[in-house]
Amino acid sequence: MIRKIDTTQFMDQFETAKAALPGPWLSETRLAAIRNFDVNGFPTTRDEDWKYTNLNRIGKTVFEPPKSPPNSDPIDFGALLIEGAQRLVIRNGAYDSLSSSIEMSADAGLFSDFAAAVEQPSPGLNECLGNIASFEDAPLVALNTAFMDGGFVLMVSEGVTIDRPVQIIHFVDCPNTDFVVHPRNIIIAGDDSSVDVVETYIGSINSRYWTNAVTEIRVGQNATVNHLKRQSETKHAYHTARTQVYLDRGADYRSVAIATGAELSRNEISVMLDGSGAKCTFAGGALIRADQHCDNTTKVDHRVPDTASRQVFRNVLDDKSRSVFQGSIIVRPNAQKTDGSQSSRSLLLAPGTQANAKPELKIFADDVKCSHGATVGELDQDALFYLQSRGVPIREAKSLLIEAFVNETLDEVKDDILRDHLSSAVAEWTNVVDGRNG
Amino acid sequence: MSLLSVKDLHVSVDDKEILKGINLDVNPGEIHAVMGPNGSGKSTFSYVLSGRDGYNVTEGTIFFKDANVLDMEPHERAAAGIYLAFQYPVEIPGVSNLTFLKTAVNAVRKARGDSELDAINFLKLARQKGEILDMKDELLKRSVNVGFSGGEKKRNEIFQMAMLEPVLSILDETDSGLDIDALRIVSEGVNKLRSSERSMILITHYQRLLDHIIPDFVHVLIDGRLVASGGKELALELEEGGYAKFGGQNNDSEAA
Repeated sequence: MIRKIDTTQFMDQFETAKAALPGPWLSETRLAAIRNFDVNGFPTTRDEDWKYTNLNRIGKTVFEPPKSPPNSDPIDFGALLIEGAQRLVIRNGAYDSLSSSIEMSADAGLFSDFAAAVEQPSPGLNECLGNIASFEDAPLVALNTAFMDGGFVLMVSEGVTIDRPVQIIHFVDCPNTDFVVHPRNIIIAGDDSSVDVVETYIGSINSRYWTNAVTEIRVGQNATVNHLKRQSETKHAYHTARTQVYLDRGADYRSVAIATGAELSRNEISVMLDGSGAKCTFAGGALIRADQHCDNTTKVDHRVPDTASRQVFRNVLDDKSRSVFQGSIIVRPNAQKTDGSQSSRSLLLAPGTQANAKPELKIFADDVKCSHGATVGELDQDALFYLQSRGVPIREAKSLLIEAFVNETLDEVKDDILRDHLSSAVAEWTNVVDGRNG
Repeated sequence: MSLLSVKDLHVSVDDKEILKGINLDVNPGEIHAVMGPNGSGKSTFSYVLSGRDGYNVTEGTIFFKDANVLDMEPHERAAAGIYLAFQYPVEIPGVSNLTFLKTAVNAVRKARGDSELDAINFLKLARQKGEILDMKDELLKRSVNVGFSGGEKKRNEIFQMAMLEPVLSILDETDSGLDIDALRIVSEGVNKLRSSERSMILITHYQRLLDHIIPDFVHVLIDGRLVASGGKELALELEEGGYAKFGGQNNDSEAA
C-alpha cells in the first residue's frame, strides 16, 4: 500500500502566505491551484510518470519560509557570471536588485523579476501564465502555481535579436534549513525574434532546501530560443523543475542542461510543436555520485506536419547514484513528415549505480521518421590503457573519457562562452573524482 | 649497461603461459626486430613492456635504465621513455587528437620535470612534427582515430611517437594493413627519429618492414621463446624458408 504524502503543511503555509504573494489578480488562480493540489496530493511511484522517482524524501520534510541572510550585500559570482551577459539574480526566492544588472530597452522587450512583472495584469503575460503549463494532472505545477514568486519574466519583441545573453542566477544562501521556493519563469519570444537564456541554479550553503520551479515558454513564428541550464544546487537540495514549451510555425527551441547538484532532482521538459517547420532539441547531461538521484523526463508532442525533435541525454553515475530517463514522443495522426530522434546513454563508474531508461513512442501517423536508443555501459578499458600508455595518469584519463562522453550534449552549444559555463560544471565534477581517488 | 634488460621473462594470460623465458638486451641506439608467426607471443611481449592489465609476470625481470619496469604504472613507463605503437590503435570518440596529444605531451613533460607547453607552442610543435608524417590539420582536429583509414591510424601512432620523444619505442606490427605508399611514409617517419640515443623494437610478422627500417639485430620468437638471434640477414633467411626451420608452423591462423 502506497501512502499519500500529507499535504497539510502546504495548506497551512498557503493560508499564512497568500496575502503577501505578488499579483492580487492572480489570487483566484492560486486558490484553484492549491485546492487542486490538496485533492490530488503528491504523485507516487504508482503514477506511471513517477514510477522511478519517489518524492517521499520531500514529503517527509517540514518546510518553512526562507529567512533573510545575515547581509544583503551584492554577491560576487566570480567565474559563474557569463561574460557580456545581462543578469537577474533571485536570492533565496526573492529578486536581488543589488546583484542584478539588467539593460533591456522597452523596444526590445521586457526582462524583469516575476513579482514586478505581475504587479499589474498584462495581456501578453495573461495569455501564457498558467495556460502553457496547466496544473491539471501536474501536482508540482499546482503547488508552484499556488505559491509562485521569485522567478523571471522575459519578453522579446517581434523581430528583435537580443545580442547579449540573458543570465538568471537562482542563488541560495539562506541561513535556515528546510525551506522551499517556487520560482515561476516566463519566456515569450515574439515572431522572428531570437534570444540566448542561461539559467544557473546554485547554492552556497550546505542546508536542505527545495526548489520547485515552473518555466513557461512560448516561441513565436520563426523565432529562436536557446535555453541553457546549469543545475549546481547543493548536495542536500531537492530540485524539481518543469519546463513547458509551445512552438509556433518555424520556431526553434534548443535546451541544453547540465546537472551535477541536488540530492534528488527531476528535470521535466514538455514541448508542443504546433506549427509546421517547428523544431526542438533537448540535450541533457547528468553527473551524479553518492546517493544522488537524477530524473530527466521529456514529452514531445508533434501535432502538425513537418516538425522535428531531437533528444540527446548522457548520464554519468558513480557510487550508489541513480538516474532516470523517461522520454515520450507523440506523433498525432495528421503530423506527417515528423522527424523525431532520441538517444539516452549512461556511463556507470561503480557497481552500485542504477540507470533506468523508459522510451515511449506513440506514433499515429504513417509517414514519419522516429528513432530511439538507450544504452548503459562502462568506461572503455582499451581507451583507458591507450591514454595511460601515452603518459596520462589513470585519473586524468578517466576524466578525459567522462568529459568526452558528456560533450555529446555540450556540442549542441555553438557559442564558446556559453559552452564554457556548462563544461566548467562537468570539469568541477570530474576533478572531485581526481581528488578523491588521489 | 643496456637500456632495456629482459631476463627470463615468463608471462601468463588467464593462467595460460604465453611467454616462456625471454632474454633480451637492448643498448642505446640499437634497433631490434622480433619476428614470429601468429600466436607466438609477439603482442604479449609488447603489452607487458608497456604495462597492460591482465598480463601476469610469473617469473623474470624487466629493467629500463636501471629501474624496475614491473613496479611502474603504464603512464610512468611512458614518462620514463617507453612508447608502444599499437597494432590496433584505439578509437576515442569525443576526444580530439589535439586535446589527446596535448594532455599526453604535457603529462609526460610534467613527469620529466619540464614546463608544460601552452596552446600556441604545442600547436607549433604538432605542425612541425606532423609535417614529417604528412598529418593534415583535419586529422589533428578529428576525434582520436575515429574515421581514420588503416594507414592514417598507423601514421598517427608514429606522429604521437614523434611528439612524445621516447627513448625506447616498441612498434607492434606497424606495417600490417599498410599499402606501399603508407609504409614508405611511416618508415621515413621512423627513420627520422633514429639516433644514437633512441632504441626500437620492431615486432613484425613479415620481412618487408625491414627493407625500409634496417635493424641491427633480428630475433625469432616461437611459442614464447626467442629461438634464434642474428643480424639482418636472419630476416631474409626467414623470408625464404619460413618459420618451420625454427620449429614454428607456417600458418596464418589468428593470434592468441
